[in-house]
Amino acid sequence: MRSIVYYLREFLRPEWIRKFFFAKTAPLETPSYFKDYPSLTGNECVACLSCMMICPAPDAIAVLRTRDGWEPEIYPGHCIRCGLCVEACPEAVLASGRILDVTARDGTALWSWYRLEIDDKICMRCGNCCVSCPVNREIDPQLAGSGTSSSDEVIMRVEAGRVRILHEEKCTGCKTCELNCPNRAIRVARMVEGVQIGEAEA
Amino acid sequence: MSILQKIKNTVRSRSIHVSYVDVGSCNGCDIEVLACLAPRYDIEQYGIYVHNNPREADVLLVIGSVTPQWVDKLHDIWEKIPEPKVAVAIGNCPISGCVYNRRGTLTSPPVEKYIPIAAQVPGCPPRPTEILNAILSVAPLIFKDYEEKQP
Repeated sequence: MRSIVYYLREFLRPEWIRKFFFAKTAPLETPSYFKDYPSLTGNECVACLSCMMICPAPDAIAVLRTRDGWEPEIYPGHCIRCGLCVEACPEAVLASGRILDVTARDGTALWSWYRLEIDDKICMRCGNCCVSCPVNREIDPQLAGSGTSSSDEVIMRVEAGRVRILHEEKCTGCKTCELNCPNRAIRVARMVEGVQIGEAEA
Repeated sequence: MSILQKIKNTVRSRSIHVSYVDVGSCNGCDIEVLACLAPRYDIEQYGIYVHNNPREADVLLVIGSVTPQWVDKLHDIWEKIPEPKVAVAIGNCPISGCVYNRRGTLTSPPVEKYIPIAAQVPGCPPRPTEILNAILSVAPLIFKDYEEKQP
């Protein structure tokens, strides 16, 4: 009997009734470290397009021309919030969550280079790639129409009947060689690797 | 509108029935919808009840970029939902196709081509709170004049 009275009194408390009918857990707040859509930090964009090149989602980011410079724009229906553009940007134009803090603390960065690959089976040694390459032309203006060159500093040259790549690291990734190759034997690929400052020195 | 209808509208706006359909996604958004049901987000405290029956549903959550096999079936599901109804696109896939919108994939986004979409929740996947907020913000739209729309 006593317990019944106790429970009746307990359940008739206005506070209990209010809580029972109206209490809701507050909509959970987004934590400050949530990796949301990247926002602009105000640093000047130099239009290196690293963000666009590393973005895994189609059409998610575009670097657009504004009145006084360049500005990356994120498209929410396409962006997957992976944060790679924030990591790849050398000027820290974009910010998202705590990515910038973490990369600064750990000294991590994304390092990219261009890899040239020639399929010798379909290459017909015309030398178009060596001749059309703007870097080659600058290094050795005397580069012959057949792609042979006396300079050892060129990216690639025709040597002993086949195209030999000498200095891959000089490639700027313009892909002019790919465009001028008659049977798509040469391929330019952009390679990206995550590096840590301490690790690179060791 | 009579006072009775007003009361009915108010009561109905606190009991939203949700049905969801996955028209070819990676299941990431399905898991976020499931997370809404879990105690941490607890979708039912807002009176939103998820049960996969289009004939009782008010809100249809569409997940995933549309694959060819789903085109006619999605239309059937949409037709089964009684008026008034809304569809909410969950995630990037129904909006743009996201990473599946590439050459050589068998998808035909966006889902707006097949059924009318009232709200979109971008994200890959969206947070459960974003899904919750979207459902709660489209609910007043359908229940405002629910009674008048009754056949």
